[in-house]
Amino acid sequence: MIILENVYYKYEPEGIDALRGVSLQIKEGEHLAIIGPNGCGKTTLIRHLNALLLPSGGKIMVGGWNTSDPKHQADIRSLVGMVFQNPDSQIVGMTVEEDTAFGPENLRLPTVEIRNRVAESLSRAGISGLSGRNIESLSGGEKRLVAIAGVLAMRPRYIALDEPTAFLDPAAAKRILNIIDKLNEEGVGIIHITHNMAEAALSQRIIVMNEGRVYMDGTAREIFGKVEMLQKIGMQLPQITELMIKLKVSGLPMRTDIVRIEDAVEQIISLKGPMKD
Amino acid sequence: MYYTGSFIKGQSLLHHLDPRLKLALTACLSIFILWVKPPVAFITGIVLFCAAAASGLSLRTITEALKPLLFFIILIFLVHILFNEGEAWNKNSFFGLSLPCAGLREGFFVVWRFLCLIVAAVLLTMTTTPSQMIAALKYFLRPLTWLRLPVDDIAVMIMLALRLMPILLAEKERIEIAQKARAYNLCRSGFFTRIKAFLSLILNILLGASRHADELTLAMDARNYQRGERTSWVELKITLPDYLVLIFFGILIVIFVALNSHFG
Repeated sequence: MIILENVYYKYEPEGIDALRGVSLQIKEGEHLAIIGPNGCGKTTLIRHLNALLLPSGGKIMVGGWNTSDPKHQADIRSLVGMVFQNPDSQIVGMTVEEDTAFGPENLRLPTVEIRNRVAESLSRAGISGLSGRNIESLSGGEKRLVAIAGVLAMRPRYIALDEPTAFLDPAAAKRILNIIDKLNEEGVGIIHITHNMAEAALSQRIIVMNEGRVYMDGTAREIFGKVEMLQKIGMQLPQITELMIKLKVSGLPMRTDIVRIEDAVEQIISLKGPMKD
Repeated sequence: MYYTGSFIKGQSLLHHLDPRLKLALTACLSIFILWVKPPVAFITGIVLFCAAAASGLSLRTITEALKPLLFFIILIFLVHILFNEGEAWNKNSFFGLSLPCAGLREGFFVVWRFLCLIVAAVLLTMTTTPSQMIAALKYFLRPLTWLRLPVDDIAVMIMLALRLMPILLAEKERIEIAQKARAYNLCRSGFFTRIKAFLSLILNILLGASRHADELTLAMDARNYQRGERTSWVELKITLPDYLVLIFFGILIVIFVALNSHFG
């Protein structure tokens, strides 16, 4: 469990309040999406989860350890893996295996154990085929998967991903999302920052951040059902929800809290009555 | 794109040798090439080029590696031709300048030795991943920990420098394209404008490097990096092929030393 209690954070020397009293609980195995306008504190928030940033006020407990306690920071960083937005800023090694091995090397594991973990992580990230490849020869999507493999090699219980599908083509983005889903099914908690509402709608829970505070917290249906609240802070709805709203405005009896294409199809068919063969 | 010093995946014998052996042999070979007499250096070079070809080192890769050094190679060659006080070769052959035969010969052999050193280095880096190289370096530097030399930190520094190199080159290309996209034509500019543009390029690259370094530090922290001793995923193990190569290398050295004394 990750528990944030009234967390404040101020960037010095600019004096910008990035987090203003955030309280939150994240359960193990949960798939959580964090959305919100630029500069609302999403990245600052997830950097607190593995003690990269320490709160100016309040406290964060990860797996029972306080992130401000320097004695447990290494344990916390093994527990919560972090995938940064730009893989070039995260990848340290020159080849795929070298980079994947970086975390276990820091944990001072024996060579045999490191090699096992590298093979296992590449397989879990679906990139065993990239083994031995030079990092510079990889595409943007492949680099992100290498970054995920590098984090997996530390066997974390949570992974925080900062816009993992940004700047990727739809096929590469889908590949990453499939891997994230698979990891979540394996029991890894996912904390996923995104600007893509359709992506956010796939998670179990969504947190909307605004001006350093938790603005909304709930399931996709609960969040996207409150259109006015979202529009007030300049957020958009998933396209499928917008479609349902427009159909409702046109006079069709549609539910407006629908966030998944499958649910929308089901509702449209139910209006028409049973389909004939 | 091939960058000088990049590892190229392969299955040659050299790819499978222990990195410590490769590093030690490259160092020995480099000293040997500089030490022996020109004819022996020539034969050693031929053997080296054969080993390079057998390891999949193409002529194109060698050319790519030589490109940045081409100016110095030509300069060295010309210096030996023009400033050597050897016998006259043909007084009217080059706009009335006398080109000494000894200078040509000396220039050729100096360039040849230089080429051999580059090929040996490229062969080493092409068949050894940076982490293998770092593991080998760490092995040889390990005794210096007695002098409190932070060997593990030096190894990480080398790894980061190697990692940042292609990123900075890409950054440079991006800035140049951005300058061109705004109709900036360096060829039509004056001397001071060129200097200004060059400084702006350097400044932007440095800023980019500093930003990357900041982000990389954070990412390393996130993956539990701490100064001091680290383990390595590279398994350093001397196997039968390593012993065979070592014996073969030893025999060649003995033959070449004998040849060297013969030419004396």
